[in-house]
Amino acid sequence: MEKKIGAYICTGCGIGDALDVAALTKVATGEYKVPVCREHAFLCSEEGRALIRADVENEGVNALVIAACSPRVMVDAFDFGADKAVERVNLREQVVWSHPAGDEDTQMMAEDYLRMSLTKAKDMEPPVPFEGENLSKRILVVGGGLTGLTAAREAAAAGYEVVLVEKSDQLGGYARNVVKLPPMAPPYEEPQVFDLEGLIGEVTGSDKITVYTGSRIEKISGAPCMFDVSIQQNGSQAAERVGAIVLATGAVPYDASKLEHLGFGKHPDVITADQLEAMFKAGEVKRPSNGQPVNGVAFILCAGSRDPEHLPYCSAACCVESLKQAKYFKDANPETPVYIFYKDLRAHGNYEFLYKQLQKDGVFFVRGTVTGVDDDGAGALAVSAEDVLTRSPILSESVDLVVLATGMVSTASLGKPYKAQQPKEGEEELEVPADTILASNLLNLEYRQGPEIPALKYGFPDSHFICFPYESRRTGIYPAGTVRAPMDYSRAMDDAAGAALKAIQCVEMTAQGKAVHPRAGDLSYPEFFMQRCTQCKRCTEECPFGAINEDEKANPLPNPTRCRRCGVCMGACPERIISFKNYSVGIIGNMIKNIEVPEEDEEKPRILVLACENDAYPALDMVGIRRAQYNPWVRVIPVRCLGSMNLVWIADALSKGIDGILLLGCKHGDDYQCHFIKGSELANIRMSKIKETLDRLVLESDRVRFEQLSITDYGKLPEILDGFASDLEDLGPNPYKDF
Amino acid sequence: MEPKYVSAEMRDYIVSMGAETVNWCMQCGLCTNLCPWRLVPGETSEKFNIRHMQRLGQMGMEGFEDETVLFACSTCGMCQTNCPRGVKIIDNVRGMRASIVGAGMAPANLRPILGSAHANGNPWSGPREKRTAWQEGLDVPAFGPDTEYFLFVCCHSCYDPRSTKAARSIVKLLQAAGVSFGVIGQEESCCGESMRKLGDEELFQKLAQSNIELFNNKGVKKIITTSPHCLWTFTNEYPELGGEWEVIHYTELLNRLVEEGKLSLNAAQGKKVAFHDPCYLGRHSGIYDAPRALLEKAAQDGTVELSRNREASLCCAGGGGRIWAEVPMGERFGELRVTDALEQGAQVLATACPYCMNMLIDACNSLDKQEELEVVELSEILAASL
Repeated sequence: MEKKIGAYICTGCGIGDALDVAALTKVATGEYKVPVCREHAFLCSEEGRALIRADVENEGVNALVIAACSPRVMVDAFDFGADKAVERVNLREQVVWSHPAGDEDTQMMAEDYLRMSLTKAKDMEPPVPFEGENLSKRILVVGGGLTGLTAAREAAAAGYEVVLVEKSDQLGGYARNVVKLPPMAPPYEEPQVFDLEGLIGEVTGSDKITVYTGSRIEKISGAPCMFDVSIQQNGSQAAERVGAIVLATGAVPYDASKLEHLGFGKHPDVITADQLEAMFKAGEVKRPSNGQPVNGVAFILCAGSRDPEHLPYCSAACCVESLKQAKYFKDANPETPVYIFYKDLRAHGNYEFLYKQLQKDGVFFVRGTVTGVDDDGAGALAVSAEDVLTRSPILSESVDLVVLATGMVSTASLGKPYKAQQPKEGEEELEVPADTILASNLLNLEYRQGPEIPALKYGFPDSHFICFPYESRRTGIYPAGTVRAPMDYSRAMDDAAGAALKAIQCVEMTAQGKAVHPRAGDLSYPEFFMQRCTQCKRCTEECPFGAINEDEKANPLPNPTRCRRCGVCMGACPERIISFKNYSVGIIGNMIKNIEVPEEDEEKPRILVLACENDAYPALDMVGIRRAQYNPWVRVIPVRCLGSMNLVWIADALSKGIDGILLLGCKHGDDYQCHFIKGSELANIRMSKIKETLDRLVLESDRVRFEQLSITDYGKLPEILDGFASDLEDLGPNPYKDF
Repeated sequence: MEPKYVSAEMRDYIVSMGAETVNWCMQCGLCTNLCPWRLVPGETSEKFNIRHMQRLGQMGMEGFEDETVLFACSTCGMCQTNCPRGVKIIDNVRGMRASIVGAGMAPANLRPILGSAHANGNPWSGPREKRTAWQEGLDVPAFGPDTEYFLFVCCHSCYDPRSTKAARSIVKLLQAAGVSFGVIGQEESCCGESMRKLGDEELFQKLAQSNIELFNNKGVKKIITTSPHCLWTFTNEYPELGGEWEVIHYTELLNRLVEEGKLSLNAAQGKKVAFHDPCYLGRHSGIYDAPRALLEKAAQDGTVELSRNREASLCCAGGGGRIWAEVPMGERFGELRVTDALEQGAQVLATACPYCMNMLIDACNSLDKQEELEVVELSEILAASL
């Protein structure tokens, strides 16, 4: 269909007072020959929208350029259907609210933004959603413990079919060996019985849930809504097609044989918390050394946790679990001496009441480092410690049993690091640091980048913990429970429900061809112009989400439903063959080329700002909302992620005479804040290559700067923008200006 | 360093002696921070840390028996009213002291005090027959079957020459209001509040039993106390021993009489007056308004509030048996209190407790501020306003 552009200039919110709107209209109708251009004092009102709608219906306008407020607001007001291309010109926040009214430079800025958007509207197409084949909305739950059972039950309750795969012959997992759970209801003072059999019954009795016990996942290929799962069940094979996956394989206790300094392995009466729980479950709590009853017990918390020699992290559940087990002893016999040696007692929320109850029960709480677990000379054990609270070494009375509260080790961390492809001889090592993928034999994904979910610290599956704790780096796969992070029973059940909902969100969005996260609802996806592919593998290697597989000849095989639409592949491709309908190297390149660069003697420098849409661009809006001012030389182009920046844009800008380029991206490295995990880091790595471009053009490398910025840093932005402008002034104008 | 030994037996003994909530403590240290000992320098301040002392108690570990530590607490209740765990810290102090004193190991300086209370029924080494000497020149009625109120005068106001003024003033006020009251006299014994706080449980039981028997035999139903300490123990400790009466502090009764129009006061006090809240009247018994209302009536030029007042009032250091402690100048809480009063421009510092009177007068003298600030019992101001 022929494209017909309509440009609409809103004069409300101070725009009309600050700008020469007639001149703006002239840019559209004169320079760009836009057939329809109108202004309105209140464009987002019903009347303003009716004006646009009339043109769509009567004039055949199908590409809309809305020159009004930030594209981050009034999204619904300016939605005229998925088949209409909409481009927004941010005249309000980033022009009139942050620059002086009636000023020549403010006007030039507005006109440039209009030119850039008109160019984009001319080049872009409305996205056409990806349609997969044989889509499934079923949900695979891997692991039949407390978390997995809960996730399965919740997903089924929401009306979704579930396939549950459990490694052992029985459902229940670790909870099978547990006598009682910590209190979950008022008055929170007593361990409580948990009806695990009831939960198992709900799952096995549900006609929506298919249960495979004694099974493991041999292979998962495909992508969200099109995952093909091969299940090994006692030698036989089964195949299931599912839409999304909840990974709930849990954790295992830390290996106590490494805790000899706490007496484990040296004294038979030093045992672990899970061994004690099993004793209570069996109803036989006896000293392993002689089978005699236990008349005194000491718990050592953080046994191997929060210890740089063992597990550096807090295992989150052991404090409360030990309080619970101490309560078992006190309930059986209030006179039994019970010691709890701790670093910090982390009995969060209502578990405080349990802690308080055990204080009242007379448990000896000792805060400090355990320095020895020794034979008392009479066959029992005595614990010595450095007690912080009396600042002195102390020695416990004799106890019959010492219980080590060993921490949690995620099952996802149990595997050797997987290396996708060794560099061939003579081939240089990849500059982009590879993801940590541990071959833990849980999912066995047929993903080019590795068979499991990438991990960040300590082998836990990575999530964007600040904003999106439920996410993994694999779209449609949601780790839940202790495989994801150390947590207790009740939190694991909440986690399970959360992950089930995420999985449902995934299958529903994917079935409509929409991005799931974080660009939820985005219909565009990257398309590859394969005739020009050189099989360089950059896109397959750099995709933060493993969305692109490759064939034997190293041709990329994209999986659009795995994709998060960040455009990192587009930034990676040296041949520029990867494009979205509304976002491509060409579209952005043409926007840059349509910035008017005044001649050198006009002394009006130009600065291109490529701003991450997730943090930097909203921060720029915030500057306007706060009515702070910055120089009028900047021209901002929002990018999906700085990782989608293609180096050719830098060359385009500089050879056009633009004086400097500022890249505004998210914090990278440890505790990264990039919504797309590695985009900002990749942009930074690509920056190092910019020098070559600049050298070729005989330009100073200071003309391109990278700044890390979080959304809350908006206060610093005017200083960053003006500081860069001032530095560029020192460098002098770009010599390519008047060519 | 030699390890210290944890002892469940010792811990349980301390608990059985009254430190029932010592295990509830989670060692946050708020108590230590709020303790008035943090406000003064010196050896006791350096050694005494209530959080640490309770820690030793809950572990049954040695070290708490050090006299400087064990007897430092003035039981002001600042820590206890703010404890996030609801630990009854004063009971814990009492229990820990009792575990030592009960074993016959009372500190040397306290033995004459406890001995006098045993022998004479008062801790001031005053002979029993002199208990009523303060009444000289007054026509104080004897308590009889038809008397409404029994006026229980604190031992301190029976024997201490300065303190008798308060007892005499109260009698005048009660008479002016036409209250039916009387005293029993020589057979009365010390209420024992401070004895119990010092850990002499046996002595307390003896004194209390003697009083309960006496009061009940005399047909006592209602008691007026001159001291907030007697008020507190009669209200909180005597009932479970069989002493159940309607007990009221003189300030509350007088305030009620003023409100009922039975007592009229003419503002006679021309100087600026500040009121010091006694711990046992304020924090321990919740009486803040009655003394202030009375003072407003008696003070011509109105009153000023100390910066630390009501629930946040600073202890005079006389409770918990500390009235008998020798404290070097510069380490006395009362000195801070006198300074507080001077800072607010007060010329008179009034209070309603014989112990506070004792401590504040000492502090005022040790600071040599007696020319600038007069320490008086509230009852004296009121009596002068009759």
